[in-house]
Amino acid sequence: MKAIILAAGEGSRLWPFTYSKPKVMIPVANRPILEYVVRSLVANGIDDIIMVVGYRKERIMTHFEDGLDYGARIDYAVQKKQLGTAHALLAASKMVKGDFVVLPGDNVIDPKVVKDLLSADESPCALITESEIPSKYGVVQIRSGKIVDIMEKPEEMVGNLISTGIYRMSSDAFTRIRSHSRKGFHDLTSVVRDLSSSDDVLAVHTSGKWIDAVYPWDILRVNETVLRDIGEKKSGKVEKNVTIKGPVLIGEESLLRSGSYIQGPVVIGRGCEIGPGTVIYPSTSIGDNVRVSANSVVEESVIMSDATIGPGSHISHCVIGEGAFLRSRFSSSSSTATMEVEGDSHKVGDIGSFLGEDVFCEDGVVASPGSIVGAKSRVSAMRVLRGTIPDKSLVV
Amino acid sequence: MCGIVGYTGSRKAAPLLLDSLKRLEYRGYDSAGVAIVDKKLRIYKDKGEIDNLRESMPNIPGVYGIAHTRWATHGQPTKDNAHPFADCKGEIAIIHNGIIENYLKLKESLIKKGHKFRSETDTEIFVHLLEENYTGDLESTFRKVLPMMKGAFAFAAVHSKEKGKIVVARKESPLVLGIGEGENFAASDISALLKETDRVIALHDNEMAVLTPESVEITTFEGKEVTRRPERIKWTVEDAERGGYEHFMLKEIFEQPQAVHNTLLGKVADFDVNRFGRDAFPSIKIVACGTSYHAALAGKYILEDIAKVPTEAQLASEYRYSTAAFGRPLVLLISQSGETTDTLGAAREARRRGRRSLAITNYVGSSITREADDVIYTRAGLEIGVAASKTFLTQLVSLYLLSIQLGLARRTLSFDESRKMKEELRLMPRAVQGVLDEHKVIQKIAKKYHKARDMFFLGRNVNYPIALEGALKMKEISYIHAEGYPAGELKHGPLALVGEETPIVAVAIKDHTYEKMLGNIKEVSARSSPVIAIASEGDRDIEKYVDDVLYVPDVPAIFTPIPVTVVLQLLAYYAAKERGCSIDKPRHLAKSVTVE
Repeated sequence: MKAIILAAGEGSRLWPFTYSKPKVMIPVANRPILEYVVRSLVANGIDDIIMVVGYRKERIMTHFEDGLDYGARIDYAVQKKQLGTAHALLAASKMVKGDFVVLPGDNVIDPKVVKDLLSADESPCALITESEIPSKYGVVQIRSGKIVDIMEKPEEMVGNLISTGIYRMSSDAFTRIRSHSRKGFHDLTSVVRDLSSSDDVLAVHTSGKWIDAVYPWDILRVNETVLRDIGEKKSGKVEKNVTIKGPVLIGEESLLRSGSYIQGPVVIGRGCEIGPGTVIYPSTSIGDNVRVSANSVVEESVIMSDATIGPGSHISHCVIGEGAFLRSRFSSSSSTATMEVEGDSHKVGDIGSFLGEDVFCEDGVVASPGSIVGAKSRVSAMRVLRGTIPDKSLVV
Repeated sequence: MCGIVGYTGSRKAAPLLLDSLKRLEYRGYDSAGVAIVDKKLRIYKDKGEIDNLRESMPNIPGVYGIAHTRWATHGQPTKDNAHPFADCKGEIAIIHNGIIENYLKLKESLIKKGHKFRSETDTEIFVHLLEENYTGDLESTFRKVLPMMKGAFAFAAVHSKEKGKIVVARKESPLVLGIGEGENFAASDISALLKETDRVIALHDNEMAVLTPESVEITTFEGKEVTRRPERIKWTVEDAERGGYEHFMLKEIFEQPQAVHNTLLGKVADFDVNRFGRDAFPSIKIVACGTSYHAALAGKYILEDIAKVPTEAQLASEYRYSTAAFGRPLVLLISQSGETTDTLGAAREARRRGRRSLAITNYVGSSITREADDVIYTRAGLEIGVAASKTFLTQLVSLYLLSIQLGLARRTLSFDESRKMKEELRLMPRAVQGVLDEHKVIQKIAKKYHKARDMFFLGRNVNYPIALEGALKMKEISYIHAEGYPAGELKHGPLALVGEETPIVAVAIKDHTYEKMLGNIKEVSARSSPVIAIASEGDRDIEKYVDDVLYVPDVPAIFTPIPVTVVLQLLAYYAAKERGCSIDKPRHLAKSVTVE
């Protein structure tokens, strides 16, 4: 059976981390979210994969190529305008026949999720799961195992079973999608809702790991969850007097300098230089080619590839984008903060700051909890960052 | 310049050979052919790409054979001149990559002995020589015939009566053996074998091998046994697939951040840097061809700027004519494939002159790694597009790394400076990504100018060679006539050619050459040439003087060739795409040139 992964969207709510890459390519535990979807499919024997790509598709294609590294054969379908998930699916309509699986590329799933879906040997069916905050999702109403309705982001509590956006369907669904599309409906949920009114759409429950990232702070949550299951492997060079506790992955050609203290789960990529005297606390992912200089402390954070953390910095509950350069004594502690994303306010507990790719901070910059700095911004020495700062800003 | 493959085993040979051959198509593609033995020897050839042959040949069952893709050197690209060639009796078939220099003389004597020639090629004499001298055993016949031949060659041959056996020989043309389970392979390079096996033995000069399904026996031409263990190759076949991209070249351009990462990760100085101290040599001579020569020219500026070593860049084919040098220079050889005949010749010449040599190459185990005293690997991965992209960029990165090492070893660079430079270099993958992220802007500009007949590329200082490379990329894939010039030379000639029909690409980054470059830009725009400037991010002033601006991330002046190169690659790529050119396989060109 073939699988179609929808990976064309930008995911603007995750800005600034979508400045130059689609949401599905945001790394958690040093792997793009999309890679978890691919690996879970392959683990269940689904190795014929079509990815619908659009926004910054090159990032996806360069990472996955033809899929051989992942034990799969990956073909790409291009969705030129990102109108919606059903519209995206149409882009791949000519490449499948019969039954297929469709999944969003922006949710981290484990192999169990795919296994559960395949256990119901029937189509169409929709994979559902429990959620603590159903109001964020499409809540499903079920009668005798069949879906009777999906309510998008209900304000009142109508149930805690939500649609994961993962379906098994057959290619005759495309006719339905096309007619919907002509009426101006482009999302898959409305197609499935419509389908459930005439056909039987089976609801299949999964207890597997299904986590989605919608907002920047979700990256930390997803990262933390994924890191719980990492193993242990130390390549690279570890100097004398380095303490390593718990599960820690260190990539090849990385160097851990003397006096550093690493408490897992922590993952460190290839070609990094950490320390001397650097402390890294649990649930931290550090990408490839990263410097964390002397006497810095990093806790529960994601530091993406090519970033430079200057000496004496403190980074807590932060996401630092690719190539960010923090010259020295950058400080970002965490606390509860109110964050605004696309006009909506969210109160988020225990949160640090979010720096987009290639942000450049001179010495002694302090980022207040909840602050977001747009990509390629430059910040003068000793500034205090607050709130949301657009891309390519100059903070003087 | 051709590609050869051979297979012996239990599977059907024809589809396997054609598949492998397809991966060698970059080595040339004006005609192709296969020879397979089932009940008797069968040969099929066709003009054009390998797919033509695939369609025109029947389904045949044989389990061993050889195949060839040709790029004409002697004789027109016709079906008659395509390999393999058979002897007069139709029992022996051979394929060849290289040149036989004394073929005319040999041909005359063979004709006198009654052999009938069917082609104009130099190659065909070999099969008649084998027939003439056949001892009943191909291996010993090879040994008898090989010494008669002058030139460069990689041969593979089969005989219809010696079942399952392939005999190969190599002198100055690439040849590798692939080791399988109950089957074995031979090919011009590793990429042809990747799909079938990752265990590879490189054959050296003056060595031959006999392949059967169960065994591979390597000997020298004189008959001395050679034992060599297979190496495991880490490249996967997927390295050779396009992965959603329209062209290999675009894929390879977009792979550059990762390629630069890998180059930086690799231990650049596996050799002992101290041997490269101040007293070791007074100057450097860099020798290379084509795109690698442009890296060499840039290397001159980089080495002189960072390591303060007087450096000269020279074309490999001209090296032998340059007999005097300042002191005893280090000879630095740059060749992507490590098989470029001219560069290998220069390496041998350097050895004859008693020079120490250092090679920069992408291919582990290639010929140049055996010719040079020390080797730096660029670790760019497999490159399929004929127009070099990521291999050029990683050559530049290797030159920066080498310069920093040399500067340290020769005490011409302070430790602090060297550390800062390494840090800057570490950020280069970002600079490359920064350009790639703006590819749509470049595409728009390329679309605007793609109808040009002529173009000029101007640069100064270290960006002058980059202008040459930009012009070369434009020429080779878009077929727009493009010339690279040092901007100061404009007034000494080429200015006579500019006008509104000739767009000018000017590298005008913010460094000490900026003011002069602005002057040159005014010179050409005064003659109503449209000007496309490549400028440092944030330079708004330049927009006043030019028609279009492409910005590159702000990096220190000496490192600007890295982002500027990527801009020029994309400009050439999109121009070629607009013009509907065959980007991965430009007409008349081959990837690694193993003829002189």
